Amino acid sequence: MEYLIHIAILISIYAILGLSLNLVVGFTGLLSITQAAFYGIGAYVTAILLTSTGMNFFLAMLIGIVITAVISLAIGFVLSKFKDDYYALGSFGFNVIIYSIFLNWQSLTRGPLGIPGIPRPSLFGFTFSENLWFLVLSVIILIIIYFLCKFITTSSFGRVLKAIREDEEAISVFGYRVLWYKLTIFVISAGMAAVAGSLFASYITFIDPSSFTLTESIFILAVVILGGLANNKGAVLGAVCLILLPEILRFVGFPDDIAAQMRQVTYGVILILLMLYRPQGLVGEYRL
Amino acid sequence: MDIIPQLIVNSIIAGAIYSMVALGFNLIYGTTKFFDLGYGALAAVGGYSVFYFYKGLGLNLYVAIILGILISGAIGLIIYRLVYAPLRKRKSSGMVLLVAALGVMTAVQSIVAILFTSQFQTLSRSAGNEAVYNIFGGVITQTQLIILILGLLIMAAIGLMFRYTLFGKAIKAVGDDEEVSKIVGINTVKVIGWVFFIGSAIAGLAGILVGFDTGIEPTMGLSLLLKGVIASIIGGIGNVYGGVLGAFLLGFIENFGIWQISGEWKDAIAFGVLILFLLFRPQGILKL
Repeated sequence: MEYLIHIAILISIYAILGLSLNLVVGFTGLLSITQAAFYGIGAYVTAILLTSTGMNFFLAMLIGIVITAVISLAIGFVLSKFKDDYYALGSFGFNVIIYSIFLNWQSLTRGPLGIPGIPRPSLFGFTFSENLWFLVLSVIILIIIYFLCKFITTSSFGRVLKAIREDEEAISVFGYRVLWYKLTIFVISAGMAAVAGSLFASYITFIDPSSFTLTESIFILAVVILGGLANNKGAVLGAVCLILLPEILRFVGFPDDIAAQMRQVTYGVILILLMLYRPQGLVGEYRL
Repeated sequence: MDIIPQLIVNSIIAGAIYSMVALGFNLIYGTTKFFDLGYGALAAVGGYSVFYFYKGLGLNLYVAIILGILISGAIGLIIYRLVYAPLRKRKSSGMVLLVAALGVMTAVQSIVAILFTSQFQTLSRSAGNEAVYNIFGGVITQTQLIILILGLLIMAAIGLMFRYTLFGKAIKAVGDDEEVSKIVGINTVKVIGWVFFIGSAIAGLAGILVGFDTGIEPTMGLSLLLKGVIASIIGGIGNVYGGVLGAFLLGFIENFGIWQISGEWKDAIAFGVLILFLLFRPQGILKL
């Protein structure tokens, strides 16, 4: 039972990440591979605030969102100068740079040692220390984020995003300021990833830089692409599939270290097969 | 002791390794116009093949190295035939190919990790008591000297190939316009296949040399490859000499950048340079 709850919590965290990245990759058509950086900033801000000042989790999460938003605004501004392949490569670059900061700014992040003893969230004297209650909390946040994404993507704002994806020049001729739209959605997406980071930090109660590498960004991208680009349900579906699949492999009887590698092989192969046979993913509405 | 000569020597060695990776990458990019990130994993394939043949089976060093190069080339060719050729036939966008390449990279490096564990290994049998040369107060090992010479040789070979052979001209033609090359009777599938074989073999060789210089681990390819890509972009992508120039420039920037700070910042510096170039001179140094 504990095990199932653990899996469910991971699924909801990755579903949030998938939803957030889908706004940028699926709806706006920008191939960003740096989501793990924002996920990491959210996690680190929360972890540092909780362990050093002991403030309330939700306040720390809010500060995490704000800091991530400011950083992502700067990154999004630089990235908005690039197109397609170069956009992807530039976003790679920011992931590596932010990962290096986690690893090397030792006075703040403790570097490779990581930050242990992050407390679980509490609200009005009630602490979510039981995993079951933590699951309830993450599912509530997931639902909020889901409806937020749904609201954004079905609004007129969302329609402009899709138009940017289909034909950037045409929509700018109509007088829409493309840069402003791209930046807004990039910052919103980063803020959502920061929420996932806060949840992750206080759930595992320990973070170190290795959770926020480029590989992690590729994994989040795989979640979005498998589930389906430009479909909110698809992002959640992708998270369910990609978290469950390697767990099944574990049951087949692979030892732990090989199971971890098998997880990578699986999602690598899934990416290849999807690109070959179904580039829009399971329920996607847009192809890269 | 003066540190500057050593920094210069280190920069040149780093430049030689990067230029090899950049040469192979440029060859593939120049012909097919897509970012083949899966190519990085082949460096690990080369390194581990030699590890298996030389240290595992105890074969002769040179036989092992030749086998390692051939295996990397062959695997590169197989991946092209299985994944990239069908995608290119369907005229998939560069982003689809990029995502597929990410899948290839993830899968290949994890398979290597399953076969050989993800531990750091060294290839040379005589670690520590290698011949060492003194140049202007900087120290260079025998392996590093070989790396430097091989890097220059490969550059010369590729330059000559482009200038004097029919095959080199065919590659250029395919890179210019694939459709027209087909019309004039160039077997484009075959030419591109050879390009992948040669490029991947060079990646394998780079992996092997790094293995003798420092060591190998399954994830070594990604950072090597990204340095090669950065070098190519700095120098002028698709340009053989530009890649080499960019590689040495990157080697110098990286090694002098960490003069006063920790060596862990190297990757961040490299990507910082990339982003600056993408912003202010996206065509690279050698392109008009």
